Amino acid sequence: MADLEIRDLHVRIEEREILRGVDLDISRGEIHALMGPNGSGKSTMANTLLGHPSYEITEGTITFKGEDITEAEPHDRAKAGLFLAFQYPVSIPGVSVANFLRMAINAKREDPIQVKEFRTQLQHAIELLDVDRAFTSRHLNDGFSGGEKKRAEILQMAMLQPDIAILDETDSGLDIDALRTVAEGVQRLHDEQGLGALIITHYQRILHYVKPEFVHILMDGRIVLEGGVELVERLEREGYDQIRQEVGAGVGAGDEDV
Amino acid sequence: MKAGRHREATLYTALDGAGAGGGHSLGELRELALKAFEAAELPVWRRSGFWTTSLQELDLDALVTEAETREVPPIVTSTIPERPRAGRIVQSAGAVVSVELDPALAEKGVILCSLEEAFERHKELAERWYSKRLQIDRNKLEAANAAFWTGGAFLYVPEGLAVEDPFEIVYAIEGPGIAQYGRTLVIGAPMSNFKVHEYDLAEDFGAESDVPAAERQALHAGAFELYLQDGARCRLAQVQDWGSRNEVYDVSTRFVQVGRDAYCHWLPALLGGHLVRPHMELAVSEPGGDMAFRGIFFAEEDEHLDAFAVDLHETGPSGGDVHWRGAATGKARASFEGLIKIDPGAQQTHTYLQIHTMMLSPKARIDAIPSVLVSSDDVSASHGGTVGELDESSIFYMQSRGLDRAEAVRIIVEGFFEPLISELADEPLQELVRAKIESRLAAAREDIETYAVSR
Repeated sequence: MADLEIRDLHVRIEEREILRGVDLDISRGEIHALMGPNGSGKSTMANTLLGHPSYEITEGTITFKGEDITEAEPHDRAKAGLFLAFQYPVSIPGVSVANFLRMAINAKREDPIQVKEFRTQLQHAIELLDVDRAFTSRHLNDGFSGGEKKRAEILQMAMLQPDIAILDETDSGLDIDALRTVAEGVQRLHDEQGLGALIITHYQRILHYVKPEFVHILMDGRIVLEGGVELVERLEREGYDQIRQEVGAGVGAGDEDV
Repeated sequence: MKAGRHREATLYTALDGAGAGGGHSLGELRELALKAFEAAELPVWRRSGFWTTSLQELDLDALVTEAETREVPPIVTSTIPERPRAGRIVQSAGAVVSVELDPALAEKGVILCSLEEAFERHKELAERWYSKRLQIDRNKLEAANAAFWTGGAFLYVPEGLAVEDPFEIVYAIEGPGIAQYGRTLVIGAPMSNFKVHEYDLAEDFGAESDVPAAERQALHAGAFELYLQDGARCRLAQVQDWGSRNEVYDVSTRFVQVGRDAYCHWLPALLGGHLVRPHMELAVSEPGGDMAFRGIFFAEEDEHLDAFAVDLHETGPSGGDVHWRGAATGKARASFEGLIKIDPGAQQTHTYLQIHTMMLSPKARIDAIPSVLVSSDDVSASHGGTVGELDESSIFYMQSRGLDRAEAVRIIVEGFFEPLISELADEPLQELVRAKIESRLAAAREDIETYAVSR
């Protein structure tokens, strides 16, 4: 049995059905890529897995470590070991990165983390993500560049040590150096801590740095094709349109990223 | 910038020119004030159509100025953090009940005593500054203060003296039925450098009991003046919390005058009271004066706050920077009028006023009314602000990190106030203000959650 099991997931937002029966299994130590064109439902998938209140599950279940979390509160999912690296992280003015991390870590623990242990972990994460020490005393995402925001997401992931992380288009808007740092960070957390990851992306380039074992292609709210890393290469050669014709997925893709 | 006009929505005006003090003895001033008191009704302030601050439910005749005991009320020691201090004066009801002053500072010429005592022992000094900028007859409660004040606080910091630890001035109300006429006079001699922390506190009158609201009333009608002479620097902070379950009315006027090359950082934290109507004015009256006027307010339950803050420039060059943040829960109503006033001849004045508010309940309401009144042409003066509500995407973001909804809300609201709290630059005071905000959020937890879900 997989750690995260998604069964026949149907999701609606504002009367529009976005996911139309998705099945997916992800376990610790596995790297999955969920790829799809704009409007295929990728971000809906990410937000739904963490329980965003605007997304309504009309059918299906999400099970995590044997527990049905379909209706669970977002913070309970997080405490159970799920993590979402946001496509557009919000800024939290007035709260430093370090303080926020401490609060988030303590939310998962019975006793607050010791100062020394926290510092050691933070130092490790800082090196992993190649960020400046001063970075952690800045207010979270407040005035951060796109690249800094994405690094801050992965820094949080490294500190919170989830079992399964969902990375929602973490590669978008990153230059090649930032992309490499972020991707290598994910790869190392996988190698060192056994992180399981669902990398959601439109493009192939992040997958040059993190190697997925499982690739799923989402179109019009359904997974239409699954395979190994060779699917990425095929997508690179043929593009989404060719695959769409082949699998005969529903009508044309939407323009928005939902 | 061209000369501008006061917006019509504004209700209050800045104090103009000299106060009532000039040339009158204390006795004469009391007599004049008594006449004004007797001639006036309890005030009602009404802004066209949508805002009224009325004192008419206050049963003034039923209130007394003497407390039963002459002791420091327990709320004082339970609220004010233990920390090194330069001195402390505590007034309960109409009497000063405790004065402490670091003997080393007394030796250097610092004076901290009741204002009554100052008029006896330091008459010349007290008379020279008393009511120099404050009026005595603009409304019945201002007149009552000027006519009836007893006790009072007087602080004088002599020339060139720098004092690290704060002087604390405490006004406490130990129970219902009290009318407290607080009167504070602080003088910073040239080149002095010091901190003043004022606390306004009331015991919990016990709202659970069957005592009718009218019998839970108390009044604080205060008058505060601070004069900073050439080159003096002062950090002035105020923590006001009369208790949301008490029916404490607070109608007070505070005036700070900044002299030549002097500087004042003033930060009131107005955290509670049944009806609070402060008039706060920070005036740069001589060239080179500079100031930072900060403020925090938090209104909860059915509290009513009607704040008026003036950034007054009587001469130039001068600097100003006004930055207020306020939040409201429950059915609280708060109005904040902020006025930049630049007098004729106050050239080369540069000032900015910003007011940010956050409403945390469907029934809470905050009105922020900034205005600019400019009579000089070589100046810059502008204002800005934001009206905020809880942002669902921020809450979801924090929840996705394992923080529950209430904690996410707390972080957002604390983050909202943090830029000002950090400016207090005083750890014990910062902790106190944070704790008070946190307890208000905890008390309104259900209200806040219902609100967020309903939107």
